[in-house]
Amino acid sequence: MPASTATLLSGARVPATNGEVGPQEIIDRVERSGLRGRGGGGFPLARKLASARANAAGGDAFAIANAYDADPDSPLSRTLLERNPEAVLAGLALAAKAIGARRAFLYLRPDAPAEPSWSSQREGLSIEVVRGPGGFMGGEETALLAVLESKRAMARQRPPYPAAQGLALRPTLVASAETLAWLPYVVGSGAQPRTKLVSVTGAVRDPQVLEVELGATLQDILGRAGGVIGELKAVHVGGPTGGLLTKEQLGTRLDFDPLREAGTHMGSAQIRVLGDGVCIVAEAGRLFAYLAKETCGICVPCRVGTKRVQGILEGISSGLGRTDDLPWLGELGDHLNEFSLCGFGITSASILRTSLRSFAADYEAHLGGRCPTGTCAPTRSRRYEMMAQP
Amino acid sequence: MSLLERYVQPSEAQIPTVSHHGEIPSGQPTTTIVIDGQEVVAVVGETILRAAQRAGMNVPTLCDDEKLAPAAACRMCLVDIEGMDRPMPSCHIAVEPGMKVTAKSDGLFQMRRQNLEYILSDHNAYCMPPCQIGCPTHIDIPGYLDLMSKGQHVEAARLVKEVLPFPYALGLVCPAPCQEVCRRGLVEEEIAIRQCHGYTGELALEMEEAPTPFPKKTATGKRVAVVGAGPAGMTAAYYLALDGHAVTVFDRLQKQGGMLRYGIPEYRLPKVKLDKELNSVWQLGAEFKGGKELGKDFTVESLLAEGYDAVFLGIGADVSNEMRVPGEDLPGVLPAVKYLRDNASGIPVPVGQGTRVIVLGGGFTAFDCARTSRRLGAEVTIAYRRSRKEMGAHYTEVDDAEHEGIKLEFFVAPVRVVEKNGRTAGVEFQRMELAEPDASGRRRPVAIKGSEFVMECDVAIAAFGQTPDVEFLEREQGIRKTRRDTIVTNAAFMTDRPGVFAGGDAVIGASTVIQCVGQSKLAAKAITRYLEGADMAAVANEIAAEEQVPELIDIVPYKPEEPQVRMPFLPFEDRAKSFALIELGYDKSGAEKEAARCLQCVCPDVGRCHLQRLSLEHGLTNNRFHRAEPVDYHDYEYDFSHDFILRDLNKCINCTQCVRICRDVIGANCYGLMGGGYDSIVTTPWNVSLSYTDCVSCGACAETCPTGALMMRERDLQTYELDVVRCIYCGDCVEVCPHGALGETPNFELSTYQRFGVTVLAKEELAAARTWKPSEHIPTNEETHRSPVRPPEVRPPGPPRWGA
Repeated sequence: MPASTATLLSGARVPATNGEVGPQEIIDRVERSGLRGRGGGGFPLARKLASARANAAGGDAFAIANAYDADPDSPLSRTLLERNPEAVLAGLALAAKAIGARRAFLYLRPDAPAEPSWSSQREGLSIEVVRGPGGFMGGEETALLAVLESKRAMARQRPPYPAAQGLALRPTLVASAETLAWLPYVVGSGAQPRTKLVSVTGAVRDPQVLEVELGATLQDILGRAGGVIGELKAVHVGGPTGGLLTKEQLGTRLDFDPLREAGTHMGSAQIRVLGDGVCIVAEAGRLFAYLAKETCGICVPCRVGTKRVQGILEGISSGLGRTDDLPWLGELGDHLNEFSLCGFGITSASILRTSLRSFAADYEAHLGGRCPTGTCAPTRSRRYEMMAQP
Repeated sequence: MSLLERYVQPSEAQIPTVSHHGEIPSGQPTTTIVIDGQEVVAVVGETILRAAQRAGMNVPTLCDDEKLAPAAACRMCLVDIEGMDRPMPSCHIAVEPGMKVTAKSDGLFQMRRQNLEYILSDHNAYCMPPCQIGCPTHIDIPGYLDLMSKGQHVEAARLVKEVLPFPYALGLVCPAPCQEVCRRGLVEEEIAIRQCHGYTGELALEMEEAPTPFPKKTATGKRVAVVGAGPAGMTAAYYLALDGHAVTVFDRLQKQGGMLRYGIPEYRLPKVKLDKELNSVWQLGAEFKGGKELGKDFTVESLLAEGYDAVFLGIGADVSNEMRVPGEDLPGVLPAVKYLRDNASGIPVPVGQGTRVIVLGGGFTAFDCARTSRRLGAEVTIAYRRSRKEMGAHYTEVDDAEHEGIKLEFFVAPVRVVEKNGRTAGVEFQRMELAEPDASGRRRPVAIKGSEFVMECDVAIAAFGQTPDVEFLEREQGIRKTRRDTIVTNAAFMTDRPGVFAGGDAVIGASTVIQCVGQSKLAAKAITRYLEGADMAAVANEIAAEEQVPELIDIVPYKPEEPQVRMPFLPFEDRAKSFALIELGYDKSGAEKEAARCLQCVCPDVGRCHLQRLSLEHGLTNNRFHRAEPVDYHDYEYDFSHDFILRDLNKCINCTQCVRICRDVIGANCYGLMGGGYDSIVTTPWNVSLSYTDCVSCGACAETCPTGALMMRERDLQTYELDVVRCIYCGDCVEVCPHGALGETPNFELSTYQRFGVTVLAKEELAAARTWKPSEHIPTNEETHRSPVRPPEVRPPGPPRWGA
């Protein structure tokens, strides 16, 4: 690991921030650094800060570090808090200062380890450690707000964004722990945030959390995780709702925009390698089964749609598929993408879009009555049928 | 200030966005937005949806209530907003000056339709019963079967007579399209629906005064002439008389009944009982003038000149179609209608013991002729040019005819009538075969060359269908006929001449009795509306809206198998030479047992359900997500344990309106979401009975529920007994009632609240009734009946609590 690129996980001393730096100055410095949200969306942090600060206008505001790690296979925040907790806490304090918040929260998974010292008072700011309910949706930024309001973890429609109406309907900054960990380096020493934590899993020799340079190719990253075991069939990038990329797409650079162009997204920054023994149809079915279990249940496309897509995919992998199932899946993917309430449903369409485009052969093989890898056992005996009116 | 911010303002700082009547109070800051190219004035801070609704635009939504904070859960109200990269829920986004919104587009329509398909795929409940859709009158079959099974036969008869005035006659002669689609057929055998209403009808015949669906309305002073005393005319007369009009029925034959009397033979429908049933029309004050023929004794013109305000032409179709073969004018060739009519009116017919009869045709009339001839002692053959499958008559009738000793000859077409000594001696036929399927997929019969043969007979009866006798039209102004000799009407059953209506066979051509009844029921409604001075285009729309709606879900719950209760029939050996009724009718226990077999596959919320309405609006008549594994669907237990509110989670669509209204408006907070992922469902804490929650039985949840998941238990609360001695006139009940059902009157507070009836009387109406005394009937008028229930004022939920 070249030392120059690692910042967050390198154990480098967290620069002490000069107490003289005022709120506006913090925002200006973040703006100059071009820091984008590491939680997956890639939204410029400076704009979030400025918006929350303007909306608060000196009144109540809150800052929240999302260290939830919704995707359990991508424990980025947990790793960061193990190796460099001070960066996260200092960053949270800086963000709170920038927007004028006097209360801040460090939001963890229920099972995440935490030091008692993390709940602290500093410079008139109280930082509290709170724990979410578990499950994938607990990490969604508005579901997280609902949890802090003692409600069920359910997403809320945006706009208004949390920076306008967040916790208790007051302006709230919600940023991932990784984003906030950059703040002391950016504000204190003028560092350029050039790296991103990723979790490499699946069929690689050395699965681990890595800090890699933004712009590194997926091929490079897999190399750093010890290389692929056996033949690579697909890389699943971005966590459970991410798209499936082919071997030919390994040259894709790890950054927000190139990933989007490739059909997936940064998401939980999990890079999962699927070997050539994996049937993509069954894999997509398993992903949607997981999503149908994890959806918060508020909006129709996501609550019912994920279940129905799962059913169609399982039908195909059980040998009950028909040719018109494929355009149907495309149609349902578009619906998920267009009509879902939060990023969960919106991004889940990428599984369908990428797999139908790049792994059409697997679907075709199943429609022809044969599993391409010989690994699929039927999971259902009845498929969805049309029920017409008499 | 955005909408959400407004909810956390102290209540004194809140301003009502708009009045409940929709107009914007003066002094409200407004802005203008563009929705679908139309400029809409909106109050600053209100949502796009609210602005659109006030402008009269129909944006579909299932989870919005103006009392509640938006949830954006149903995803039906999504609209495209210029400058936003994806559709946004209009119930959630506040208006901004100059906003350009697209609420109607093909893309949005398709997406919303997909949304509805999803919702319906997990809406594990019945919607419309297929029998009700199948019957042209859309009679409430589950309703009367339920009443019958409880032994309430008079109530059942009243319910039946809402759309079907002659249940006894129809119980014997109807081809029962309802039974063909009965869902019980998916379990084992369909319900004997027709025989069941036949039983209630027969019971009603024994009563001194026939039960009516509702009391006869007060006299309107309008006069209506009904021409034709057949099924169509008599149905129209029945409902017109009930509506309070003075009705006169004319018929060219001496007795009432039309085809029921002169077309349907005695062994299918005894005329004594038919008269008893038809007499219910005269009991309502209508008048019968027999032996008066339209075009001879009077004309439409003369009726109108005599002071009739409207005329209904129910002249039927009683001219037999011609055979169109040589020799059809010979003595011994009889038109079917004339043959049946002569026999029914006691005029001798040339058929008797040993006569050889050939009946040509395969419809109901052909079998009526054949079985009548058989009863007169004739040797009968029915000749039909297609196969048994294509016969118009019901298969039971075909089977019965065979058992009675009638021969059936298929794939034969008459070529000519053979003459001998100036009389009919036989019919020459040609054998037919089915050709290859044509473009429409139908296989037409074609003649086989050289296959001609002669079948000897004394009498040939031609039953090739009938057409209306419209000769009188030559002397009438402004009534048109089609090429098929039927009368032209518009969708409101009115001919081109204002005030002249038509229905039944005269309009649709020869059809079944039930179709005529269904038409005349609607025509009677149209005539009443016409006499009220309504706009006929609007009436046509009302009728179209009343007409059939497709059912949406087809499921079969578990029921133990139980075969149909068999109708007792006259044994075949007793049928020879006897015109005795062959269908003997159910007894009380049989009828009740059969009625109890009904699955009651109907949702009580039909007609009020917004999910049903939107699905119909989106043309959703099929669903691609059916019949998969049980894990793909939910099957919840009902909760009918609460005294006032019925809960059926199977119909819940997770719109969370009840959650929000119970928490934010009522304050009881009885509902929330339980379960995770796809299994999320709105229910009480730990899914306990609603009785164990803090429920105050206000009914707000049932009122706001867009489907039938939450419904008020049906009950009659039209009058509260108020103990005046103990009332201290505190007005508390008026204050707390969430429906505004209680009002202040000059006397004291009172309530009338009838959810399933016509009205909820609000404060305004009661306060306006200055002279009202509690002993009197409650003052209402038609307008207030139609006005929607006024919602209570918005109560802010207060700042949400959040964790320590």
